[in-house]
Amino acid sequence: MRSLFCFSGFKFVRFQRGFIVLGDFEYKRIRSIDEGCHCLAEAAGKAAVLAGGTDLLVEIRNHLKSPKVLIDCKNVDALKQVHVDRSGSAIGASVPLNRLIENRAFHTTYPALATALLSIGTYQLRSRATLAGNICNASPAADSAPVLLVLDASVEVVGIRGPRSIPIRDFFVGVKKTVLTPDEIVVSIQIPQRADLHTTFLKQQRIRGHDLAVVNMAGAYSPGERILRLAIGSCAPTPVLLEPIKVDVGNVASFAGHVAEIVLSSVSPISDVRASSGYRNAILPVLVKRILHNLLAEGGAS
Amino acid sequence: MHTIRFTVNGHVEQATVPATMTLLDLLRDRLALTGTKEGCGIGECGACTVLLNGNPITSCLMLAVEADGSDIETIEGEAIGGELSVLQQAFIDEGATQCGFCTPGMIMSARGLLNRIPDPSHEEIIEAIAGNLCRCTGYEAIISAIQLAAARLSQDIGSRDAQEGRAR
Repeated sequence: MRSLFCFSGFKFVRFQRGFIVLGDFEYKRIRSIDEGCHCLAEAAGKAAVLAGGTDLLVEIRNHLKSPKVLIDCKNVDALKQVHVDRSGSAIGASVPLNRLIENRAFHTTYPALATALLSIGTYQLRSRATLAGNICNASPAADSAPVLLVLDASVEVVGIRGPRSIPIRDFFVGVKKTVLTPDEIVVSIQIPQRADLHTTFLKQQRIRGHDLAVVNMAGAYSPGERILRLAIGSCAPTPVLLEPIKVDVGNVASFAGHVAEIVLSSVSPISDVRASSGYRNAILPVLVKRILHNLLAEGGAS
Repeated sequence: MHTIRFTVNGHVEQATVPATMTLLDLLRDRLALTGTKEGCGIGECGACTVLLNGNPITSCLMLAVEADGSDIETIEGEAIGGELSVLQQAFIDEGATQCGFCTPGMIMSARGLLNRIPDPSHEEIIEAIAGNLCRCTGYEAIISAIQLAAARLSQDIGSRDAQEGRAR
């Protein structure tokens, strides 16, 4: 019954619609990183790497991207690995976010990153979406980006000329643009482990629950060095990492004002569908105050 | 075209699909499993939620060809031989369905939740169904239904669901 049903006129119409909606591309499942690099090089910029697909397939459907080939990297063993330990961590490029969020060691080692990942999309999307995908999509509002910036993560990539390690602060070059060359494939995200750091992540949304960030912000504070690192998302063409700030706890209120001034002079928020630039400029000092409250209270700086 | 093999609700299926076909279209149009609904088509509404190897996903954001070798569960796998699953019965008993469009996706998200956490808290239920939009019920009846199903499953360890080794 079922196979006969496939050939009915109705099926043919839906089949056609499928082509119109999801563009016209080939699908290739790679088994090794080298194979992926060669496929990417061969396609000369006309290919896209498919990990979770939660951004890519929406962009194809909305005609924002029209790759000729989708290169599915989910069957490469090297990209499925997660290592979390004291010397640092490596998160494979095809690991779904839920696997990280539900990993107890990951959660306790990187609580701010786990909070950021949990704020991405819905449970269903996080079953598919990946950390590598979140940064390769290079949205200015990417929720993982501010935390990865303050943690000094790096992106391990392989291209036809070999491997290289890209500090996350050099990774983003514009809205939806990264430093990756067309033949390069992300293998893993390396995150140093700094047990002395207190970290926090805040996200301002229009609604509670499933929403993109109006502004997001991550902070990492080292009580020993009294150094604060702060990164801000959704307020410039790329996520912004500030220069390390020496923490002066003499007067918390005036220190918060000082940090807010640095933040406002480092970003250039625009008005878009989620918020006006005025709102973003107004909420930034509030988030700074909350971040300092979280970090300095937690860090025992006072 | 790609030939793929996968299981749907325990049945082995084989299909030859174009690269551009979504899993949702494969289920609805090729396999005639129209219980899974298409709402937004961009992963926002959760109406197309199915289980992929036990985990809830939105089938509109997955290519059919990616399902090769995987195990898919849909709403059609809930009732067996005309007998409703504990989750389905709880949705009826709590009046957790009105127009019914979101219900298949809602039940699959709840199924995924009960697979992971047999006795979920109110907060855990809310988090699990945050990706399923309902415009009729106001969600409270749905949350109650999932709580009721969890309670019935924990009490009734000799039920058909328990005998099958999963939280039906």
